Amino acid sequence: MKREWVALLVVTSLVCLAGLAVAIGWRKQAESILLRASMPETGGWQPVTILATVGEPLHLRLTSQDVTHSFAIGQMDMQPVEVTPGEVTEVTLTFDKPGTYTYYCTRWCGPNHWRMRGTIEVQGDGHFQPEPGAKPPLFVQLGLDIDAPHPAEVTPSAKPGALDGRQLLEALPARYRSQIFYRSNSPVQAWQDLRAEAIVSQLSDDQIWGLVVSIWQANTESETLEIGEALYAQNCAACHGESGAGDGPMADDLVPSLQPMEGHGSTTPIDFTEAANMLGASPAVLHGKITRGGMGTGMPYWGPIFTDDQIWALVDWLWTFQFDYDLEVNHE
Amino acid sequence: MEVKLQDADELTFYPPTPAQSRRITERQSRFDLTQVRWIRRLMDSRWPLFLARAITLAGFVFTILAGLFGSPVGSHNFAIIFVWLAWWTALKLLFIPLGGRAWCSVCPLPMPGEWLQRGGLVSRSERRLGLGKRWPKALRGYWLQAGLFLTIGIFSAVTLTDARVTAWILLGLIGLAIGLSLVFENRAFCSNVCPIGGFTGMYSQMAPVELRVRDGQVCAEHTEKTCYQECPWGVYPLALKDSSACGLCMECLRVCPQDNIALNLRPFGSDLGATRRSQRLDEAFLALVMLGSALAFAAVFTGPWGGLKGAAYAIGSQAWVGYAVGFLGLNLVALPLVYGLVVRLGQQSWKGWASLRRSLANYAQAMLPLGLCAWIAFTITFALPKLSFILNVASDPLGWGWNLFGTADSIIESANWSFTPLLQIGALAAGLFWSVRLIFQLAAQEPPAHKQWRKAGPLAAFSLIYTLGMLWLLVG
Amino acid sequence: MRFLIWFRSIPLIWKLMPLLAAVVLVAPLPFSGGQPTDRHYRVEAARFAYFPGVLRANPGDRVTIELVATDVVHGLEIDGYGVGVTADPGQPATMTFLADRSGSFRMRCSVTCGGMHPFMIGKLQVGQNQWLWRGAGLALLVVVAGAWKVWK
Repeated sequence: MKREWVALLVVTSLVCLAGLAVAIGWRKQAESILLRASMPETGGWQPVTILATVGEPLHLRLTSQDVTHSFAIGQMDMQPVEVTPGEVTEVTLTFDKPGTYTYYCTRWCGPNHWRMRGTIEVQGDGHFQPEPGAKPPLFVQLGLDIDAPHPAEVTPSAKPGALDGRQLLEALPARYRSQIFYRSNSPVQAWQDLRAEAIVSQLSDDQIWGLVVSIWQANTESETLEIGEALYAQNCAACHGESGAGDGPMADDLVPSLQPMEGHGSTTPIDFTEAANMLGASPAVLHGKITRGGMGTGMPYWGPIFTDDQIWALVDWLWTFQFDYDLEVNHE
Repeated sequence: MEVKLQDADELTFYPPTPAQSRRITERQSRFDLTQVRWIRRLMDSRWPLFLARAITLAGFVFTILAGLFGSPVGSHNFAIIFVWLAWWTALKLLFIPLGGRAWCSVCPLPMPGEWLQRGGLVSRSERRLGLGKRWPKALRGYWLQAGLFLTIGIFSAVTLTDARVTAWILLGLIGLAIGLSLVFENRAFCSNVCPIGGFTGMYSQMAPVELRVRDGQVCAEHTEKTCYQECPWGVYPLALKDSSACGLCMECLRVCPQDNIALNLRPFGSDLGATRRSQRLDEAFLALVMLGSALAFAAVFTGPWGGLKGAAYAIGSQAWVGYAVGFLGLNLVALPLVYGLVVRLGQQSWKGWASLRRSLANYAQAMLPLGLCAWIAFTITFALPKLSFILNVASDPLGWGWNLFGTADSIIESANWSFTPLLQIGALAAGLFWSVRLIFQLAAQEPPAHKQWRKAGPLAAFSLIYTLGMLWLLVG
Repeated sequence: MRFLIWFRSIPLIWKLMPLLAAVVLVAPLPFSGGQPTDRHYRVEAARFAYFPGVLRANPGDRVTIELVATDVVHGLEIDGYGVGVTADPGQPATMTFLADRSGSFRMRCSVTCGGMHPFMIGKLQVGQNQWLWRGAGLALLVVVAGAWKVWK
């Protein structure tokens, strides 16, 4: 009889040990914020909203429930944190200003990857103050309709490079060399303006295109292009394709499993190599589309994620699909 | 008749040929482990086995909890890694080939039910729970077990990779085991329902361990039959002709007043080789199911065919229905038909349905080593590259970032072992050799005495083609 | 001494078989591959397969594999060669290696990409698959061996 009690004790304690191990682990886990990442189709970030206080370190433990994800906060200069399936990575963040911060996934995890975002509400003294001198995006200031179609009435016969020498550019009126000219005019508008200038009336149509490229090139730095190229590869190439032709793996709508979530429309991603379309858009329009996204087209909105400089760098990079730049010239 | 037990020194490991398979001559190739004192002492006490069972039960509970609450990522979940990698590999490479039904003696699934049935954990009391009904005759045999194995098989792509599903299946199995223990007598679940128990028992006929009585005369004079009363499996040790029904719990050994039960080491395949007169086809069916599922799983899990994998994984889709139909068709129709055909060819002339049934049942013996070695080879392909996950999961069983033993990040470069093809070829060749040998042995026992090739040829060709198929899937 | 007596009593066939088996397993096979060249493969990775699933090369080829991930981050590692590469969707990754070992090598995904990730497998076949031939030879040998003793 005594044996039975001993036996019962042994079994019960061993089984309880098993249960206790899990329960204790569960409690300990609940003490810190465990941010679980899943593909957006199966939940995205959980929890979506995180609360924090100015000045207090926010300790996050990150894990993925399915595939490789990554964690970064929009418009903050931080290295993305790997979020690996089945493993836990840790990051500590401290915020010095109150406001709403967007955090997002930086590694493609399916066709709805870009929807994988959440917010960190940082409370503190005072209200959120906008940056001094902050202005609305350029397309808003210029009153441009970024949803209007922008066909190019004129296109070059081949992918143009910059015209040789800077003399012609110097000879033109000063406004052609300003950044605002570059940003607020489409290449077609610039071409039409230049075509009307008497000084360059002896140039052929294609040579005028070369002049347009010179203007565009003068407003581009190789460092910015590098930033733009990296951003494009990481964020845009999956849909728009490495070649810019709108043929990225996510654009393949023939594969049923890659259909976007219900209720969200999508069209084929824009072909940046298509001159008839691209050349009719100004950098401001492109900047607007990237910032605000395309309503109902599946184009994400990157406003909360990229800084203004990053978006301009991306825009600068997009022109390399249309123009052949030789950036050494800028430093002569 | 006095029977002298041979010393281990004079053991020869040639499997007995049919002419020698009389019981008395059998004894010359048996080594009784109970003659070794410390083994005997371990077996006499109920505590070692109880302790092992308590540990496996606790591990089982932890596995279910890990499956339900741990990380859903299979490679970092204790439930997936320990059930489908560690335990399955141990079962196929160690427990069954070397111990027969040894796992059944420590398996946690029937334990709560058995404790309730017997009214005690280490001893049997008068307070017993359960209706103690006899298992219905119509449901006896390997049929249910084969069916359950096939059913789990069509969902295997998800079962093997989803921790939640694994946990629910285990919960379901233990619930079923306990429920059946409260309605039926003995280990009704283990003997008739458990999908693992089915092939474990069947393959135990080849294992080098057996439990038998020493002297049948002593049993004949003993009227109480204490061994039969105490056996949780409802087995009468004297009547044990092969090892498939005995769960190696050794209760009989402990209670026999004449100390007449022996646990023997014996040559591999000792239960096979003699012509069987039964007409029961369930063993043939299960043997073929094991052959077919080895082929199917090798194709799905270790092959490069993404379409097949996708179909097996997308449960509920049209593609999956196609896969399920193909899987069931292979196991329920194609293989049995081909097997039936080759056995009929071996018969040469038509001798009636009863004779055909006897042949089908008889030659099933030859399918056993083929199947066991095919599963061993498949397990080597399936599991060896991933063994390092066992270390990872031991340190972080729930995928919550623990590192209990410091091995959470270790990786063993087992994927680069270049001798695994040799192991696989060796296993498949051993199975084929054994199978062909059995076929010819059995054919020699049937009249006419000559024309061996014509009698044995078709089935031997079947074994050869099957082996070449597995070879191509695993090594090709 | 007892061992020698036992050894002598074994029929010749049983002494011959292990020798033949060893020959089948170890003997060098005639080389029948083509000239080594450069090969470039574009492999698309989706959950949970590679397209194409089977790559072929001759021994001595310089093989370049461009891994294109089409849905999530995937990897590709080759058993036996120990080379691997990881690709994000939109950012194909390339690796080049010398296919100096012949045989059949499994390509496995090295980045957890979902449920069936452990079974995301492809094959690289370099030259002839000697293990397959040896295995088939051994299978034929054991059929003869298995039948022999009883038949004789």
